[in-house]
Amino acid sequence: MDVDLALVLTTLARALAFSTPLLWAALGEIVVERAGVVNLGVEGMMILGALAGFVVAQSSGDPWLGLAAATAAGVAAAAVHGLLAVVLRANQYVSGLALTIFGLGLTGLIGRGWVGRPLRNPMEFVDLPLLASVPLLGPAFFQGQYVLSWLGLLAAVVLWFVLHHTRLGLVVRSVGENPAAADAAGVRVLWVRFLAVTFGGAMAGVAGGFLSLAYRPSWGQGMTNGLGWIALALAIFALWDPLRAIFAALLFGALFTLSFSLQEFFAPQLLTMMPYLFTILALAITAVRKGAGAFGAPEALGEPYARGRR
Amino acid sequence: MRRILMSLAALVALAFATAQDDPLKVAFIYVGPVGDYGFSYAHDLGRQATQEHFGDAIETVYVEDVPEPEVEAFIDQLVADGADVIFGTSFGYGDGILAAAQRYPDVIFGWGTGISRAPNVLTYMADFYQVYYLNGLIAAALSESGDLGYVAAFPIAEVKRHINGFTLGAREVNPDAEVAVRWLYNWFDPAGATEASEALMANGADVLAFTEDTPTVIQVAADRGYPGFSHYASMVEFAPDHVASGQLVHWDTIYIDILEKVLDGTYTTTNLEDVDYFWLLEQGAVELGSEPGVPVAEPFVDDLREVVIDHPEFGEIDVYELVLERRDQMAQGRDVFEPFMGPLEDRNGNLVYEDGYMPTLEDLLSMEFAVPGVVGPWDNEPQ
Amino acid sequence: MNGLRIERRGAPSAALVWGVSLGAVAVAMLGTGLLFAAFGVAPLEAARVIVERTILDARGASEVVRRAIPLMLAGVGLTLAFRARFWNIGAEGQLLIGAVAAAGVALFVDLPGVLTIPAMFVVGFLAAAAWGLGPALLKVRLGVNEIITTLMLNYVAIYLVRWLVNGPWKGSSLSGFAYSDRFDAAAILPTIGTTRLHWPTLVLAVLAAVAVAWLLARTRFGFEVRMMGESPEAARYAGVDFFRTTLILVLVSAGAAGLAGVGEVAGIHHRLVDPGSLSIGYGYTAIIVALLARRNALAALVTALFLGWVAASGDVMQVALRLPSQITGVVQGLVLLCIIAAEPILEYRLVRAPRRAATPPDAAGPEAT
Repeated sequence: MDVDLALVLTTLARALAFSTPLLWAALGEIVVERAGVVNLGVEGMMILGALAGFVVAQSSGDPWLGLAAATAAGVAAAAVHGLLAVVLRANQYVSGLALTIFGLGLTGLIGRGWVGRPLRNPMEFVDLPLLASVPLLGPAFFQGQYVLSWLGLLAAVVLWFVLHHTRLGLVVRSVGENPAAADAAGVRVLWVRFLAVTFGGAMAGVAGGFLSLAYRPSWGQGMTNGLGWIALALAIFALWDPLRAIFAALLFGALFTLSFSLQEFFAPQLLTMMPYLFTILALAITAVRKGAGAFGAPEALGEPYARGRR
Repeated sequence: MRRILMSLAALVALAFATAQDDPLKVAFIYVGPVGDYGFSYAHDLGRQATQEHFGDAIETVYVEDVPEPEVEAFIDQLVADGADVIFGTSFGYGDGILAAAQRYPDVIFGWGTGISRAPNVLTYMADFYQVYYLNGLIAAALSESGDLGYVAAFPIAEVKRHINGFTLGAREVNPDAEVAVRWLYNWFDPAGATEASEALMANGADVLAFTEDTPTVIQVAADRGYPGFSHYASMVEFAPDHVASGQLVHWDTIYIDILEKVLDGTYTTTNLEDVDYFWLLEQGAVELGSEPGVPVAEPFVDDLREVVIDHPEFGEIDVYELVLERRDQMAQGRDVFEPFMGPLEDRNGNLVYEDGYMPTLEDLLSMEFAVPGVVGPWDNEPQ
Repeated sequence: MNGLRIERRGAPSAALVWGVSLGAVAVAMLGTGLLFAAFGVAPLEAARVIVERTILDARGASEVVRRAIPLMLAGVGLTLAFRARFWNIGAEGQLLIGAVAAAGVALFVDLPGVLTIPAMFVVGFLAAAAWGLGPALLKVRLGVNEIITTLMLNYVAIYLVRWLVNGPWKGSSLSGFAYSDRFDAAAILPTIGTTRLHWPTLVLAVLAAVAVAWLLARTRFGFEVRMMGESPEAARYAGVDFFRTTLILVLVSAGAAGLAGVGEVAGIHHRLVDPGSLSIGYGYTAIIVALLARRNALAALVTALFLGWVAASGDVMQVALRLPSQITGVVQGLVLLCIIAAEPILEYRLVRAPRRAATPPDAAGPEAT
């Protein structure tokens, strides 16, 4: 029993650490998709953020400056997608894919000079005062974690509030649900969508920065290694709800860490496959229940808006 | 950047030069980026040392990040570029190398970690099992709990050899030591290596060893204050106070030997069928050390000296001395000391090598069993 | 911008399509040239070397075509799906599943020698088609976004292959390395001379392109597919059976990607290998193939060759031009970005006109060709 409890607590603790980049990137994608745009370039924006963050943190010695650079890199990459997919109305799926391919290639090229050296001043594990000493909850979530992990949880709560309880959130959701109506109501649809896309880029940049500044404080070619795609699945699995994203992220994180701690019992490849199957399942279930009032995908998700006038 | 232009110009100039003056053109094909700080990085250090050794007599080039099924296409390009000798460093290049070797009978091929040969294809390997055994001695002496952790890439014979060697070493110092293994099923997976290391430490492991292609395990162990081991090349920079020792490779010893024999005509495109390098401490292809020339990192020497055991062969001996003794024995040859010398039982109690049996190369290359002390899943384990 | 309005074009003329497509490629090439220059390689000299080694050299040319084969098959299938606005992003997974099924036949089914290869293609097609069935059903029955489901299934397929080669199907003679055993000779496709050009798959790809083109142009099914894509409302009004038509077109589209997977294992790898080796993103590149071909099956043969050439050029850049390997990815991304940036030019035009009522938003978008 003791062993089981210890396993549960360490699994939760590691799930939080591992899921931090997933949560940040997924929160960004949730906002993007809430505004009606799909950005398949999460992996590309993340890796650009990881490299930019590492380079700046390594040169300046300040990981938080690095994080700012990571955020900026994510925004810049997202702006390309925003320009192509929102403004020019190019095919957003291909645009996102292109962003990923381009980002992985470009960072590999630029990052050559930065490979193989550890970050000299990485973000470190800390205990959160007060909460760390709470039984069970403390060891699970508040001891020896990165500050960015808690900020991610906080960001989820804030985003949930903004999306559902503020006028700004209403505007974002309206351009994703019914852009024509939003337009008629005086919302500048393309502008809102473009900003949502860049916000998604900022969050993906933070996710990438977390990887190279805290989780794996170094730079390696392709170091995101598919995490961006899991984040994308996560956004959908959470059914575009920031609060649900917290639990979804912890679930995905737990599955990943369990694929190592439970290797005696399960083929790890089958456990790591689960997030993707869960996502499909979640979509199917919501679709079945949609008539009963459960909310699903934003109505205009993936459809470019072309009223044709500014 | 200007260098590339100059080398282009040099190529043009070469075309006009007489054929006799051409240096031997040697190409290396890597499966990862040279900056991976793992397998390909180590091979490229070997290439650079080889180039330096031969000076103008050879010209080396490399291609990196070559996917396994694309190796044939790259060989085509390299041959078109005039390569005389081509080394493919990955096991997965085998099918491509053997096919290309038939097509280009005038080119000598080397298949690193390979298992089959042809008249113009030799195989070569620098194997770490002896060094892992030495690191096992060190790990057990440094561990408070007797629980060691091992993050492993794939359950292939080579990695199984490593883990078994490590465990035999650990049990020589502490007969109760256990080595818990977690598999990545990947050579490159930083997140996986992180979580595997954390899972091992959560289960009580306080010293971590690994076989995979990043310095992740060392960094993660150091975060919790635990020691780790360099792999392939020095990783001291990644955790300056927490790298106790490690296994270092010198591929150049093998490359230099092969190329010397190519240059003096010993190796030709018709007589390589039986040329298989399996080089160990004896040939200097591998080294014990956190970095070259440092068998045990300074802060850990005293720790090892404090652990004195009653050894059946050496009597009262501290572990630092034991490590150096064993290293020197193995450097003299396998017949002086061999970690896998019979009698050897696997962890299921089967006698795998009879008393006094010296495992052959074939035995080592097909090792499937786990020795007692190894804990965790083990694919294809004989029951 | 006042007084300027973006308006959807009708069908763009063939000349415009060619002009814009070639223009996009030219811009990408220009960007590539600048990149080369930044690395100290003279762009024109680089172009000469690349052309010499990939097009003028027989073996180089065979490698271009060899890489184009899976792109052709998967790409042709996608042109059909995209025509009906079924956004199948899952060709990668469907390709892998085709490969798995074919490998299963090659490794475990005892057949008379001559039947092995045909059986592998048939089973590969069927398995991949079945893999595509899930997203198709979810889309037509429940309205679930097929882009997401097909994308997710790619990862499921990747982990499935990874599990197979690391677990139940791992070869017995490979010191534990994660590959299946090698296929028997009867399960290996013939190639032209000593090249790796497995010509039966190439023939199949051309036949598939012709068949899809014929289906689209000459059959009732093709008419329904086009109508679904161009005007779903009209299609519904005309009594098109969305369920049946979507199912059939997805089966064909996914099946074609499956055939590509069969060709890869039977023609190139001769065993089941790690998914990252089995397909170097062919399923994703095929999306570009289909879009660049403007959803025309026959044109997909040409665009597949073009993208096969881009990939083959990457080898030359590294070996002959001594450029870092990562440059290949940058060039491919650049080509992609230019191509999609040019797409809207074909879909919309700027007109100087007085303001009037907006186009209904739900009919707008580049999809609605």
